[in-house]
Amino acid sequence: MSLEGKRILIAKPGLDGHDVGAKVIALALRDAGADVIYTGLRKSPDYIARVAVDEDVDAVGLSMLSGSHNEIVSETLLQLKELDASDIKIFVGGTIPKDDHAGLIAAGVSGIYTSDMAITDVLKEIELELRNA
Amino acid sequence: MSGGKLNNRRRMSQALSRVANASVVETLKNQKELPEETLYRIGITGAPGSGKSTIISNLVSKRVDNGSRAAVVAIDPSSPLTKGSILGDRIRMDTVSNNPNVFIRSIPSRRSHDGLADNTADLLWEMEGYEFDEVILETVGVGQAEYSVRALVDTVILVLLPESGDAVQAMKSGILEMADIYVINKSDLPGAELIAAEINEIVSRNTYSSDEWKPCVLSTSNKTLESFNLLNNAINEHREWRMKSIDKASEQRSRVRYQVQSLMNRRVEELLEIMPLKEFDGHPKEVYEKLMKKLLIK
Repeated sequence: MSLEGKRILIAKPGLDGHDVGAKVIALALRDAGADVIYTGLRKSPDYIARVAVDEDVDAVGLSMLSGSHNEIVSETLLQLKELDASDIKIFVGGTIPKDDHAGLIAAGVSGIYTSDMAITDVLKEIELELRNA
Repeated sequence: MSGGKLNNRRRMSQALSRVANASVVETLKNQKELPEETLYRIGITGAPGSGKSTIISNLVSKRVDNGSRAAVVAIDPSSPLTKGSILGDRIRMDTVSNNPNVFIRSIPSRRSHDGLADNTADLLWEMEGYEFDEVILETVGVGQAEYSVRALVDTVILVLLPESGDAVQAMKSGILEMADIYVINKSDLPGAELIAAEINEIVSRNTYSSDEWKPCVLSTSNKTLESFNLLNNAINEHREWRMKSIDKASEQRSRVRYQVQSLMNRRVEELLEIMPLKEFDGHPKEVYEKLMKKLLIK
């Protein structure tokens, strides 16, 4: 399996300044063959949605450790919808409490990857999600 | 490109992907009529880490100041092993990446080894129909021999660093002969004046007639943002000079020549990739003949 030819945006919304996790996943995706674009720190949902459209990505990975994931995810999904881009998949990574998972999936998130998961499993799931796209 | 036309932005973005991802056969099938006039194109090239993206960020913020619209195509290298890439130029374009009048597309180099990417010529061509005023092309970080950008853009800017003295020696017969504007970036670092003098010396060795463009040498630094005004002015001067002096027909010829050459190179790569290994058993002459036959099949 490979992510060759897939374009993925790794985005850091919200106010936390820790992007080690974002960079680790960006490099792992590249090594799986994907073309990876990274936004840099502290980007707003409307900025992330516009970059996703301009770069024509297949998926956006939101890396969040700040606890404001529910608000950020729903705002990002809304902004993508306004840009006619609801087909772009959203993945979420970072510190996401179990209790919030069902709500995020119901809102339209395609996958939630917490720091206790092995990176090979994360890649496998992303590949499966994007293969059907 | 304005707020009300955002759906068009998505359509444009997807159209660009289709062009960028097209095989040679698809590319040839979908090519439109040659445009009579193309958008003004600025090419920025230079070694890795020389500050190309940062310069573009500062430059574009000045060039769209009057409400005009710019498209930036930024190329980063693909891994030859995994085919993946990190397209990181955008991070350094923070000054303009939030400006809705600026469109930035990051692309991987894929099979190209000339500082550009697969289908760059067609991608720039596709940019024509979308109300941009100009296009800025950032090459992969280059060494000395990758100067294909010259064939595709109107104004070539070569970015050098204060400590690149040895590199300049190596570049003398290559990219160093191709630029219209030389920029010594990070000019607050030691050695900047020396390298500027060296480039000036190389430029002055040639004689220029009154209707020829004499390349200019400038210094820029993130610490003195006014330095980018000088670069902006130099670009405008070069653009004006071109309007009076360039032979459009011969320029069109060299663009078509590059485009055909890169399509042909890539077609050969495409065919080699799918050729079964056992077909390489034998004399190079025979393998060459086999490949030639495959090339001729429509």
